Amino acid sequence: MIATLRSEWIKFRTVRMNGVLTIIAVAFPLVIVGLTALLIDADDMDGGDLASLVSGTSIITGMLLGVMAAAGITSEFGFNTIRPTFAATPRRMRVISAKAVLSIAVGAAVGAAVVVVSFALGATLLNGRDGDVSLPAGDARMGMVGVVVFAAIVSLLGLGLGMLIRSTPAAVAVLILWPLVAEGLVAGILFAAGIEDAGKWLPYQSGLALSNTDSSAASDTLGRWTGGAYFLAVTVAVGAFGAWSVSTRDA
Amino acid sequence: MISVNGLTKRFGSKFAVANLSFDVRPGRVTGFLGPNGSGKSTSMRCMLGLDLPDAGGATFGGRPYQQLEHPLHEVGALLDAGYVHPGRSGRNHLRWLAASNGLPLSRADDALSTVGLADAGGKRVRTYSLGMKQRLGLAGVLLGDPGTVILDEPANGLDPEGIRWIRDVLRFLAGQGKTVLVSSHLLSEMALMANDLVVIGKGQLIEQCTVDELVQRYGDRWVKVTSPRAQQLGEMLQAGGATVQAVDDTTIEVRGPSAAEVGELAARHQVVLHELSNQTGSLEDAFLKATENVQEYQAGALR
Repeated sequence: MIATLRSEWIKFRTVRMNGVLTIIAVAFPLVIVGLTALLIDADDMDGGDLASLVSGTSIITGMLLGVMAAAGITSEFGFNTIRPTFAATPRRMRVISAKAVLSIAVGAAVGAAVVVVSFALGATLLNGRDGDVSLPAGDARMGMVGVVVFAAIVSLLGLGLGMLIRSTPAAVAVLILWPLVAEGLVAGILFAAGIEDAGKWLPYQSGLALSNTDSSAASDTLGRWTGGAYFLAVTVAVGAFGAWSVSTRDA
Repeated sequence: MISVNGLTKRFGSKFAVANLSFDVRPGRVTGFLGPNGSGKSTSMRCMLGLDLPDAGGATFGGRPYQQLEHPLHEVGALLDAGYVHPGRSGRNHLRWLAASNGLPLSRADDALSTVGLADAGGKRVRTYSLGMKQRLGLAGVLLGDPGTVILDEPANGLDPEGIRWIRDVLRFLAGQGKTVLVSSHLLSEMALMANDLVVIGKGQLIEQCTVDELVQRYGDRWVKVTSPRAQQLGEMLQAGGATVQAVDDTTIEVRGPSAAEVGELAARHQVVLHELSNQTGSLEDAFLKATENVQEYQAGALR
């Protein structure tokens, strides 16, 4: 398993697109947080506000990491490198497990780095302009922890969708359109049908509860950790279905 | 030693490979021949567990491929030189392969040197010619110094020097006692390269024999005679029931009697012979005859 992980890590870091996507995923929150901290009135932003900004912008980081994980596996099918991969490691579940571990690790590591660095950047800039920002406690802090967990789960979701769908544009489209379109549509239909609390059972909305920095404003979700666990469960189900598909189909 | 036993693979209702069985012996180059669409590549993918067979399978030294813990140490396979990420360098392609089987990453550079790509290892595969990709693929095969080598059309895209190099490499590997299975549609190459042949058509075994046996069994054989009185000798042979074809005024090709019989007839009639030799057709002729009933795609006559 260690050898397979090492091999997958070499694959990951030797494709330029992964480097470019990682830079964009890291740069996006940094730029938004940096510009906000420079332009806003320093007195208007405390630690909780900054945490909310960091958490919110880091959701995009998570999505980009999901795209990267999806493209990582779909490109294996697209370029047929899945064949030498399985020829070198015939136990397919070992390869899939290594890819899952790597996706989660990259999602968590990049997510954590983004949160820590962007909060530190925002706090430094604001405090340099006579602001008074310190690391918040409670929900605000948990929201920043939660968005790191969110990034790790979305990375795993990207891998699962990629294994199921195999085509890069289609897998990425599903990953992006699922939260932006599909869940909104489903929620709207269910709401129109008179089911008012249906939103809490939408996987992606539940996952977003992980990043909430004010739980009182999110009473219509399952809550941070329950919602996160539900999102994780759906992701694991997608991943398991994808793994079953890859294991039982011709490579 | 590779043993393929009852290998069967269906795509929908069409049998790509049907109950195929053959053995590949160590120390010899075994050519895997068949017309386009005969199931060679599917068979190879099934042997490596990439396509999942509907029945049967292959063993390598008695074990199925999926049970090999570090397969690159035992079986090196090149199914298609295009199975590489174009954005990755050749060296990094070999490095992830090496890492997957616990090989030191330095093996990548050794293998690149062996195939003559030492200077191009850092370049992205996108910039490689097809011949360079074939060499990179062969480097991947050699990474783990395996006892068995499986190559699907390794000469594709290679220039004459490259084709000769592949031939020398495969004969060298077989000379070291390794088991070598190689498919190719270049029959003249196969004639020079292979000792044994496995010929399939429409997914079924047609022949497993040596190259010489296939030519003997299916190839054309005739006696070439050159003589100042070739025409007269030809008439005498025809009168005896032989089929005679004139090549020019002094040369005829005789089918039917042996060279000895032709020589004795000439001696009896005091016909001077300048040449009397047995001729056999090419492997290509033998192959086409062996597979004439199982060609998937046959061209119509040119008009």
